[in-house]
Amino acid sequence: MQLSGVFEPLLAQLNSGVVVLDSQYRVVFFNQFIARRANVILTAVQGQSLFDVFDDLPKAWLQRKLDSVRELQVPSFSNWEQRQYIFKLPHLRPLSTGSDYMAQNCSIMPLTAPGGNASYLCILIEDATDAFFYQQQLQSSMLQLELANRTDGLTGIYNRRYWQQQLQQELLRATRYQHPLSLLLFDLDKFKQLNDTYGHQGGDAVLTAVAQSISALLRDTDIFGRYGGEEFGVILPETTLSGALMVANRICSTIAEKTINYNQQDIALTLSIGVSSFEQQSADEMIQQADIALYNAKRQGRNCVRTYVAEGYLQKVK
Amino acid sequence: MTPLQFTEEQRDCLQELVNVAMGLASDKLARYLDTLVHLQVPAIELVDTLQLPQHVNQRYGEQSTTLVSLGFFGDQGLRGEAIMLYQLENVGVIAQLLGYSDDDSSEAEMLTDISSVLTTTSLNGLAEQLENSFSYAAPRILSSRDQHFSRKLTETASQWQLALMVDIRYQLTDYSFNCDMMMLIPGEAVLRLRQMLDKILAGF
Repeated sequence: MQLSGVFEPLLAQLNSGVVVLDSQYRVVFFNQFIARRANVILTAVQGQSLFDVFDDLPKAWLQRKLDSVRELQVPSFSNWEQRQYIFKLPHLRPLSTGSDYMAQNCSIMPLTAPGGNASYLCILIEDATDAFFYQQQLQSSMLQLELANRTDGLTGIYNRRYWQQQLQQELLRATRYQHPLSLLLFDLDKFKQLNDTYGHQGGDAVLTAVAQSISALLRDTDIFGRYGGEEFGVILPETTLSGALMVANRICSTIAEKTINYNQQDIALTLSIGVSSFEQQSADEMIQQADIALYNAKRQGRNCVRTYVAEGYLQKVK
Repeated sequence: MTPLQFTEEQRDCLQELVNVAMGLASDKLARYLDTLVHLQVPAIELVDTLQLPQHVNQRYGEQSTTLVSLGFFGDQGLRGEAIMLYQLENVGVIAQLLGYSDDDSSEAEMLTDISSVLTTTSLNGLAEQLENSFSYAAPRILSSRDQHFSRKLTETASQWQLALMVDIRYQLTDYSFNCDMMMLIPGEAVLRLRQMLDKILAGF
């Protein structure tokens, strides 16, 4: 079998691009893969500079690569993760991939004709669009997972674990920059009764609606999370105790004035809020203090705001 | 002595071949990099991969290192993985000094480029000395800046039987830094390498 006769059809059918250059980087050959995708005819451009035939190549970068291959006679590589493509070529997944051009892994290799002095360079281009596509999918899945991992399934606000992590972070920040930081913990009043009257689905609808209307009252930097069943927490960075009281009172009155429509019934509800403010205590202590204040708000008639005050002294604020 | 260990003769022979290869590579690189760089003839060291993590730890301690891996394959079953170790503080400087700051290349890209040039030039030299030739896999950055490499080496130690540590020192006119090249060679290939060395020794 005459082996050399099969190389031409092999190169034509190869699912990788092959470009051969002479030592002056003039185009000697490219295979069908390149010809079809770049829509150029070999005989029309043979002998022309690579950079003239493909005028949108990253010239300085590629030139340096070619120089290293030519002068050191070593291969050089380019990876799609670092440089998505070298040749602007279309790919064969226009429908399923968002990318405009074919993601490529390229190898540039020195070629020396057997026995000859002529030295050439070969650029081998492999289509990595699928890898690119899967990587993109993976990244978006990771992002979704990350979101899901910090979100409370019912209300869409932060879950307890993430919210507590954020409290730690804010505490560190407040300590470092000596900025104020406050915390609200609140609880829907008589939620068990509400659940008994309207069923758990009614209760869920109320929790979701409450989370929504409170979100609308908060600043972008406030961190709102579901702490437990009907208990919620708000971290208020850059906020003093008096500022936190204003926010708490606004939340309290907004919810008290509101009714939530569920199954053609208007449900009225109130909530009680405990407030604590950062004074070098730990995150757990801050939560515990807000919880004590919340307990006092409940004991003193509900639908009100109480702050934590040390030594058992209770401050009436509403 | 385990069958994978080297005799003193084999070791000396390898040291000599590496020296010659590095000398050639140094010459080529100096010309390519516009004579700014002088590559010193390195010291080589054969290390058992079980001791390798310790070795690396001693040398790099808790410093951040960046690693670039490049696999190579030759005739007669000689193969391995070359790993370049850079101290993180050197990375930016290397790129700058070697003239890679004039375009939009990312740091990762510059690093793989430089590693590829350094390792393939050196390994080609070594292959030539062994009357062999190597083909290469594309270089990859192995560890991000915060991972600790010796831990990784411990995890993968079972895949490698021999590590050839090549200490490469680059001197530039007004700045000097060094990086290490490490060749990890699996057991089967270690035997092949020993056979090749024996053949060369027999020829003297």
